[in-house]
Formats: sequence, structure tokens, C-alpha cells
Amino acid sequence: MPLISFILFISVAWSQELPKFLTKHSPDTLRYISMDGRTAYVQKKPGVLGFVNSFKSVDFLTETSASDFILTGSPDKIKLAIEVVSNPHTEYNLLKNNKIIVVNWGNTQTKDVGFGRSPKLHLKDEWITYYDAYDKMLHIQNISTQKKFEIKLAAKANPFFIPEVVMVAQDNVTYTDINENGFVALITFNLSTKVSTVIYRSPQSGTKLELCRNDGYVAVGEFPYEGISRGSKIMHIKLSSETNLAGYTTIYNTVDQDLGNMVCHPTAIFFIKTMSQEKKLNTKTTDAVRLDLKTHKIEAKTSEGNITQLIEMDGRVMIAFRGDFYVIEGISNLSSDTLKAVPTSKEELPLDI
Amino acid sequence: MKTSPPFWQNLSYKTFLGTAFGLCLSLYSHAQEPTKPVDTPLATPTVTEYPGILQTFEALIQVDNTKFKNIQEHLIKNGKVLSDSKKVSDLELEPDFLNSIILHSDAGYIRLASTSKCSFYDTIMTDLLRSAEGKLKNVMVTYVTKTGSRESALLSKKEFLGNVVTQECPESVALIAQFQVKTLEQTLNSTLFEVPNNRDQCRITHLSWLNNPKTPYLCQIHEFLKEAKAGGGEAKDLMQRQTMAKIIDGKLNLIQKDYIENVCTNLDHEEMFCNEFLNVSFWSKIAGGQADKIYADSICQKAMGSGSISGPQLKQCLARLKKENDLCMYGAGRDQSLSPHLDCDSLSLALNHSSLRSNYRDCPGSSDQLAATNFTRVLLNITQAEIKPVAGPCSAVSIGETVMFNDRFDNDEGWTMEACFFDKIKEREICSKTFFGNYGDHPIAYTNIVAGILRETRGADKSVTCKMIASDEYNPLLLQYKTGCQIIYDRDKCFASQCKHRILYNDSDIDFIKIKNRVNIEYFPLTIKGERFTLQYLLTRDFKQVAKSYNNLTSVTRHFRTGKKGILYGIGCAEDLLPTFFKVHSMNQCSPIPFIVDGMIQDEDSLAFVTRTAADSLQAPRILSWSNIYSGVRAYQRYHPLKLWTLYALD
Repeated sequence: MPLISFILFISVAWSQELPKFLTKHSPDTLRYISMDGRTAYVQKKPGVLGFVNSFKSVDFLTETSASDFILTGSPDKIKLAIEVVSNPHTEYNLLKNNKIIVVNWGNTQTKDVGFGRSPKLHLKDEWITYYDAYDKMLHIQNISTQKKFEIKLAAKANPFFIPEVVMVAQDNVTYTDINENGFVALITFNLSTKVSTVIYRSPQSGTKLELCRNDGYVAVGEFPYEGISRGSKIMHIKLSSETNLAGYTTIYNTVDQDLGNMVCHPTAIFFIKTMSQEKKLNTKTTDAVRLDLKTHKIEAKTSEGNITQLIEMDGRVMIAFRGDFYVIEGISNLSSDTLKAVPTSKEELPLDI
Repeated sequence: MKTSPPFWQNLSYKTFLGTAFGLCLSLYSHAQEPTKPVDTPLATPTVTEYPGILQTFEALIQVDNTKFKNIQEHLIKNGKVLSDSKKVSDLELEPDFLNSIILHSDAGYIRLASTSKCSFYDTIMTDLLRSAEGKLKNVMVTYVTKTGSRESALLSKKEFLGNVVTQECPESVALIAQFQVKTLEQTLNSTLFEVPNNRDQCRITHLSWLNNPKTPYLCQIHEFLKEAKAGGGEAKDLMQRQTMAKIIDGKLNLIQKDYIENVCTNLDHEEMFCNEFLNVSFWSKIAGGQADKIYADSICQKAMGSGSISGPQLKQCLARLKKENDLCMYGAGRDQSLSPHLDCDSLSLALNHSSLRSNYRDCPGSSDQLAATNFTRVLLNITQAEIKPVAGPCSAVSIGETVMFNDRFDNDEGWTMEACFFDKIKEREICSKTFFGNYGDHPIAYTNIVAGILRETRGADKSVTCKMIASDEYNPLLLQYKTGCQIIYDRDKCFASQCKHRILYNDSDIDFIKIKNRVNIEYFPLTIKGERFTLQYLLTRDFKQVAKSYNNLTSVTRHFRTGKKGILYGIGCAEDLLPTFFKVHSMNQCSPIPFIVDGMIQDEDSLAFVTRTAADSLQAPRILSWSNIYSGVRAYQRYHPLKLWTLYALD
């Protein structure tokens, strides 16, 4: 039986002015940047991904067809997953399977993984999952051993559905799926026994489940889709040596139609909360908030009223607002010319390109 | 309890009194010289009590009734019935007659009558105005005799029409001809019953009906049918009128009937007129036949658990949609789209304010080229062209229309998707442009391209055609599939550029046809050089549509307030347009998605826009804030190679 601790009082403390994210790179070209700014991946021109490290720059990935690149990391910082989106301006296709590549973090040696969408690294970045939207197939792959698994999803109610995935053990994949009536569920699949177990099934249709993991916990957020009158909640699952995800604690529960888009940090969960709503037209003011994992208190981090997404990179949490990026958590000014310590050998630009 | 006549429900009569008298005096061009006071046979009561305003009005009506009766009796008794109005001069309407009309007529019809001289005549001729005697049988007038004295007389309606209306309003005579039983159907078909989709448009629509010369005649039909149905009027010809009503009723469809009723009952109530369009549940409109049932088909199939919905089932389902708000979120059948849709209340609100043509299906869930989906929605909204026969994925509608549009303006060179085979005689690979499925039997449809290849390589007859057969419908045991060409496709995995399928010709697999490339479409220019090959260029230059770039809320709201049914179209990042559906994982991540805004909803100080992204069902729009739309387009502008702003309005 899950422990449920409802938040009765949400303390909202308006933050001070947010610092703008400053780097020496053009913000439009940045695809990934480390917390200290020494390592960055930039899209130099359509189809060309550049790697910048310690004042050295190299075009390390050249793809045809004016491709774009989506880079995602993990808290383990061992690898990065790259999704190569070909022809984004001429092929308007939300189901297209893109080329998935992995690269060692801060390095340029790539390895092709497969074709799909929304890649995610897991378990010391040894595993990668991605979704084939045409075949509705979730691919699970060990990057080192090339061991592959596939899970066929139902995803009947929405052809554009993309599952959220976390792995808490080598033989355990937890993912989201929806049935034909739009009820979302959290399912654990055991790769050894090939047995699926539903660990959470939403009692209401029209909601999405989000998953994120950090520092010994998994967070499960349930939020309504656009224009659906449902409440929101965030559940916290503490990870132990056992791989059981069944015991969760509800750490946030509200009738508000929050947007979600959660980011997990060691001490807090950031997400987009609905601050006020006009019921008839469903127009909302939404801001980024920080949910403290210890106190369960909510702190508003923005006050613009129309924040909809959070971007997480190497522990830095940012928002995009009117063409600029602002930092909610982490170092914001990377444009300083102060000399830094000599980079370690690990950070040196490899010459075997 | 005493009741007041309808007119007293609206005190605008006071304004009208002045207007009507002014109108009356200016009706006749020959009434220029000052005339002597009218010889009224009834003296004004010496004592008038004013115990309460309601009683005063009632007393006034009683006074009018008596006065009217006395005047009429007096005129008939003295033979004051004009047989030829041409013989008299300075013809005017009798002021007491006008007073009686004002007191006894419906306020809406009085407003209609007051819009112009001819409208006033039309409302008399169509029996919309009433006096103390009820329907007007005669018109009371005054005229100047040869001796110079002004006298009152009765003029028959026929005489009034022949000698006054015909001369002063010849268009009224033409209108009478258009509203005969024989011509009624044609007249109704040529009349535009425009459904407004926001308050500003609705105000304009209401005003246009008040000024429309056809309105009195349409309202005459409404009143005639209402009276016959209620068994009103004179009993002697009731049966005849009821038979006639049945004939007329048969010439009107449900939508026209409801529309005319709304116009005629709310001529003086603009807000109520608009509420009928904007506040009534859209589901009631479908039930009443005022809206297409296509909007409820998929929802009701799911709600009723049935593949096809009968009439009674539809009514039952529509009643449920008003009570069970969640039923609209997920549809059934093969018309899959981005889900969940809005709940029933919000969807009804959005559809009430939507103007985009949506009476066909285009299956965005099976579209792998959403530029074609969106562009075709814009195009069919402009052309209103008939939907041609479709085979294969129903998204072939969009691809087919886009191909035909490109053909029309010689822009077919850029089509990249091809079906290829190796020609052993020519010893080279032969490729033909194509798209999966078929639409309007287009020459480059996959069915036609495959048939052509079979003629080249398998000596197939010229008459051979290929059919798209869904794998769940294909039965290899049936004789019909043993001969000819069949393309068996997987319904869930068949899109415009990519389709899981196999080709059977005379029951043998054909596996040498290869697909090369995908359907790539340049919607807005990506380079200066390539601009003239883009859909935007063809639409605005070759197809000559006026598209204005809008980048602020003021322009957009002004666009929707002009009353025109114009739409906005553009491309934005899905992550900003629909942030709960599309999550950002990386900096500068953008999934470009075309969209259309086709309505504006205002509620006090709040504004929202009826929007369909190309992934949304044509029948299930969403309500988005300007903030989402602006952020989506702004983010795409950053992402675009030429940093173009991609939001345009079409009138």
C-alpha cells in the first residue's frame, strides 16, 4: 500500500530576477553544454555537429539532408545520446524514426545505435532506450554488449504517443503506455523473465505520466493533457537494492492542471505549474517551480506566467523565454574570460577523429 | 394576469415612433405642402388616469382599439374606400393607423420595417405588421381632395401594392416573384445562411439580415408555417393553408428552417440571435441538423461501441455528450489523430467558433507529411472543391490535393518520392514519381504507377488497374483476389511516404518495385533561390491569395473582428504550441508543425483562439492562448534557416 502524504499548504516564494544564460557560443547553435562550459556541442550549420572543448573546435558529425541534432545526457555523464533529425524543414513528420547515435561524454567517437525517437540513457549509460513510432516498439539496447530487447506497446488511443522510460536495474525496464480508452499506466518489464507488471494505473483518462530519475529516486508525475480538467500529482519512489517500484509516496497533489515537464535533481523536482486559470477558455498562467524533496514545499522560480518547458543539461535547469535562455539552477555565466585550471587528460580533445 | 402585447417588451418603440412618423411623412414624394389637421372622428378622452405604467399601456391599447374600430366603421359607412389611388393627391398614411401598427406589431418586425421605406412596404405586404384588427386587410390613408381638404380613406392592399409599392419599390415586386411556390426552392438555395463564429461577425450578420430585402419574405414563410401548424388564422381556409404549409415546409431543410426562425424571432434581439450560434451546444446543433454529423461520428462510434451509428443511436449519443464530458476525448475508427481531444464542453465551444471547412476526413494519424495535411486544409477551405475518391490511407486526400496543386502550377519537378524498377531491355533503372494510395485517379498515384510497371514488365493488359486492399479485408480464398492487381497494405503502417504493403498480380507476389526517397515539401522558403518552388509562393503568387504576415495580438484580433471568415496559418514548434504533448529534452529542440487558427473566442477580458495543428483531427480543434501560438512561431523563427516569421492571415 503506497504511502500518501498530501500537501495541504503550498508555500510559494517568488524568486528574484533570473540570471540569463551567457556563453561564448551563439545560443541558437548550442545543442549541449557542460556545467562549467568547457565542453559544448554546437550545430555549426545544418547537418554539421561541432564539438568544442577547451578552445578547440572540430566538426565531428556530418550528416546529409540538412539534419538537425538533439542531444541528451544523463546524470552519470558517461555518454550522450544524439538523435539526428533529417530534413526537419521539409519533412513534417512526428512519427519519423531518426538515426540514434551515442558518443562518449566530452568525446567525439560515435557509435550507431538504431532508428527511433526520444533516446534515453540508463544505468551508468550502459543502456539506451528509444521508441519506434511506426511500429510502436520500445527498443532497449545494451550499448557495450549490443544485447537488444523489444517491447510492443499498445498506444492505441494516440498515434503520436511517445512512452517515458526508466531503468532501475539491468533486468528491469519501467515505461508508460496508454490503452484504447486513454488510461495511462506504468508498467515494469522484466527482461529476464519477460513478465510485465502494471505498477500504477491511472484512475482517469486524459492524463500523461512522466518519469525521471536522479540520486536514488524515481519520480512519477501525472499531469493532464492540454484542455483536460484533471488534477496533477507527483509520486516519489525511493530506490533501494531491490528493484521493486511498487511503493510510492505522493509528495505533491493538486486539483490544478499543471503542465508537468519534470526535471529530477538530487534534492528537488522542477516542473511547470499552473498558477492561475480561466476556466471557460482554459487560458492559464504557468511558471517553473521547485518542489523540495525534503520539505515538499513549492517555490516559484519564475513569474513570467507563460513558461511551458524546462531544459536540463548536465545538472543545469533552464527556461527559454522570448528568444533567450535563463538559468533556474546551476551556473549561468559561462562567458567569463578568467583562466581556468589546466584541463584533465579526460577533457583534452581527442585527436583520433 | 393581464398580458401586454409583445411590443411593450421593448421600449425602443419610443425611438421608432419618431422614426416611423418621419418615415411616413417622407414616404410619398408628392406630400410636400402643409396640410390641414386630420379630421379624427373620435375625440380624445377628457380624463386619463395614470395609476401605473402597465395599466397606462393597456389603456392606450384599449383607446387605440376603440379609435381604430370607429375610424374604420366611419370610413366604410361613408363609402371612403379608394378604388384608384392615382386619382388623388398627397397620399399619406393615416397617423392613427400607424399608431395602431406600432402598438400591435412585433417589435422585431417594427425594427425591420423601420430600416427603409421599401422594408416598411414589404412588412405590410408580407403580413408581418399588425393593427388593432390583426393582420392588415386594408391600409388607411389620408389624401387631399379636389377642394383642397384632407380626408381619410381605406385603400385595399392590392391597390396599395399596385399603385404605391410598384411605383416606389420596383425591387419588392421582383422579390414577391422570387417567393412564389414555384420559385421558392431556387430562391432559398441562392440565399446565403451564414453561420457566424464570433460575436463581432455575428453583429455584422444580424445587421445584414435587418437590411436584407429578402428578410420580410423569409419571415412571412416562418409566420405562415407557424400559424398553420398552430391551427391559427381563419378557420374556413385552415385546411387549404395547412396543405400549402406542407408544400412550403418540404422546400426548406432543417438548417434553413432553424436559421429563419432565429432571424425572425430575434430581429430585435441581437444577443439572443448570436447566442443561438455561439452559446448553444454544438451537439444540439448536430441533433437539430444545423451541423454536420461528421463531428460526432468518431466520438459516437466509440461511445456507442458500434462501427456505424443509426439515427436514433446518434440522438442518444448526442444527448450523452452533453452530460458525459469525457466522451469526446478519444475517437474511434481509423481517423486517428493527436489525442486526447478537448472534453465535450470545450470542444463544443471551439466548434461553435470555428470556420474552417471540416466536412471530410484527412487522418493526420496516418500522415507522414503534415505540411500536405495543413496545406490541403487551407486549400480546400478556399476552393470548397469536392473531395475526390480515395484509396489506401485516408491521408491520401492531402497528398493527392497537394500533388494536383503542384501540377496546376508546373511545380511537379520537386516531387522526390519515386517507385523504381530495373528495365531489363533498356538495362537501366526506371523511376516514376508517386505517392501511396490513390486520390481522384491521379496518374502518379501508386495504384496507377504499379499498373504501368506491370504493363511494361509483365505484359499486363492496358485495362489492368491496381486496387488498394487493407490487409484486414483481404481474403486470399476469394476468387476476386485470384486475378488482377492488388496492393495489400497494413492499415496501421501505411502513410504517404512509407507503406507496409505487398503487390499481388494474378496471385503472384511482385517484389521488384522499390520505393526511393520520401515526400519532401517546402512550405515556406528555406533559401532565397528556392522560394518560387514553395507552397507559400504558389499559394500567394500563382494562386493569387492575399496573405498578410501577422506578428502581434492586435493584428490577429482585428482580423477576426472584421467579420470575415478568414483564417490564419503558419508553422510553429510543437513543443511550444502544445507543451503537454511534446516535451523538450535539449536546447533549441523544435518539432516544426503546421497549424491553422480559424476562430477567436472572447470571454470578458480573456481571449483564446480555435486552433488545429496538422496532427489534430479536422473535427476536433483545440483552444489555444495567443501566448502559445506566438511562442510556437517565435521558436520556429529561431530554428528556421532564414529566420522567417511564419504566421499568415488569409481573408
